[in-house]
Amino acid sequence: MSSLIQVTGLNKFFGDKQALNNVDFKIEKGAPVALVGPNGAGKTTLFSVLCGYIQPSSGSVEIFGALPGSNATFGRLAALPQDAQLDPRFSIAHQLSFYGQLQGFNKKKSKSEVERTLELVGLSDTLNEKPYALSHGMRKRVTIAQALMGTPDIVMLDEATAGLDPLHAREIRQLVASLSSDVTFILSSHDLSELERLCQQVLYLDKGILQRHKTLANDIDYSYFTLRMEKQESGLIDGLKSIKQVVDVVNSQDREYLISVQQNGEKTPIDIQILQVCHQQKWPYRQLINGKTLENQLF
Amino acid sequence: MLELHSFHRIWCLAKFELVRMFLTKRGAIAIAAFVTAWFFILYYLISAADDLVSSDIFVTIAHQIISTTGMRELLSWPVPELSVFWVVAVYSFPIFSLVAASDQTCADRSRGTLKFIALRATRAEILFGRFLGQVLILTVLIACTLIATLLMASYRDASLFFVGLIKSLDLFKNILIAVMPFIALMAFFNSFIRSARLAIIVSFLFFGLIPIAIAFIEYKLGLNTYLTYLIPGVQLSDVINQKNLLFSGYFIPLAQVCGYLLVGNIIMKRSSL
Repeated sequence: MSSLIQVTGLNKFFGDKQALNNVDFKIEKGAPVALVGPNGAGKTTLFSVLCGYIQPSSGSVEIFGALPGSNATFGRLAALPQDAQLDPRFSIAHQLSFYGQLQGFNKKKSKSEVERTLELVGLSDTLNEKPYALSHGMRKRVTIAQALMGTPDIVMLDEATAGLDPLHAREIRQLVASLSSDVTFILSSHDLSELERLCQQVLYLDKGILQRHKTLANDIDYSYFTLRMEKQESGLIDGLKSIKQVVDVVNSQDREYLISVQQNGEKTPIDIQILQVCHQQKWPYRQLINGKTLENQLF
Repeated sequence: MLELHSFHRIWCLAKFELVRMFLTKRGAIAIAAFVTAWFFILYYLISAADDLVSSDIFVTIAHQIISTTGMRELLSWPVPELSVFWVVAVYSFPIFSLVAASDQTCADRSRGTLKFIALRATRAEILFGRFLGQVLILTVLIACTLIATLLMASYRDASLFFVGLIKSLDLFKNILIAVMPFIALMAFFNSFIRSARLAIIVSFLFFGLIPIAIAFIEYKLGLNTYLTYLIPGVQLSDVINQKNLLFSGYFIPLAQVCGYLLVGNIIMKRSSL
């Protein structure tokens, strides 16, 4: 199967500053891909190169085997650029319909695509509004709608849920999850729990270098459990260490414990034993996760 | 198929420019200013053209920009309204086009709107589409002023309509070709400038400083460098005086259009959005 995206030896310099340093990766059709990294890591630069907004200093980037920003990517690669805004002089319907026509739809099809995508993001009633009449979050959802027009193969969303209220952020996550069987999403976000829920692959950038390229689906490490508690429990570490299979317990952050275990075929599964200890000691827990959280894996 | 898609996208982009000019509030204000200015030109100059062209004032003013041969040719036109129109339009439309076409891509670039468009059209298509849109806008405006002039002439003397119509078509073509290099120059400036206001300032600096710089270079080198042919409108006095019409009326402006669009396209392709 040919890759949707193939990046080889990608470098990008802004003056003396190297924003991307010899980045290599491939993305195949499939579950959403997370692009993670601290501020200034090069995530937006990588997005911009993939969309064809900026030229790489060296290296090769292929989208569907073609150059970014070329004919072959139109209508197949869609994106929500982080800081792009719609033209304030035109209604939402007019602008999105124009984008639809650029994608090759006739007026009627463009109009129906605009209505469909605005409905997907819960903004059907803003068709004839101008962008300045909408809140920041609503404008963001409109720009997500433009990325979903037509039948794109790849949709890149840069900080899609940043600035959205929890309800609408959740709706966007549900939307991504529901469409991900047909569309390969590439999501950049600082919300690791969001990415963990949605993504199967993670690209971790730091200082322009691709530090890790992980596949989460095949990477559940059964030698770890992550336990989230209602409150910080003083005796919890010792209590858990009393379980024979538990090798180590680390208080990874407030009310969260990373438990290293040794699977040795005990009759009662280790996760049940952990929950039993919590129950016996009356330690209310919130969540028990198989393996490490994405945050614990990356940092 | 590839070319068809490309033409379709260029046409979509051009149509969007027409909507921007004629159906938005800001566009309507620009049109209102244009209509007001031309109302005064039509009312005070063109309506009085029959008397004006034979007046000493007109002959004196026109002589400042037109040679004796050109003047004789201009005064021989059967429709004096079109003579006055030509003298006014041949310089005012290029200046107006600089202002009207000052924001082809720069506002969209600084706002980030161009990023949505660049996912659906190549940079070259964006550049040519916006250029074509501005040419269409000027086409409509030139046509409207010419029709108004022709109607005024016909109202004075109905027998002038057909002869005026033929002359109008000729003037329409000449003025349209004359404004195209100015629009192309603005397309070129828009390929790297992020504000319409700055683009206008740079264009005025261009027309003010480049001729001085060229004169200085030619003085120092002691030879004709032909660099003046880079300046849009350099041929206008020849066009008015009906000299070297093939070279001045067509070749120079169309070569300038190609040159500016080509360089603008190269810069646009390499620039960051």
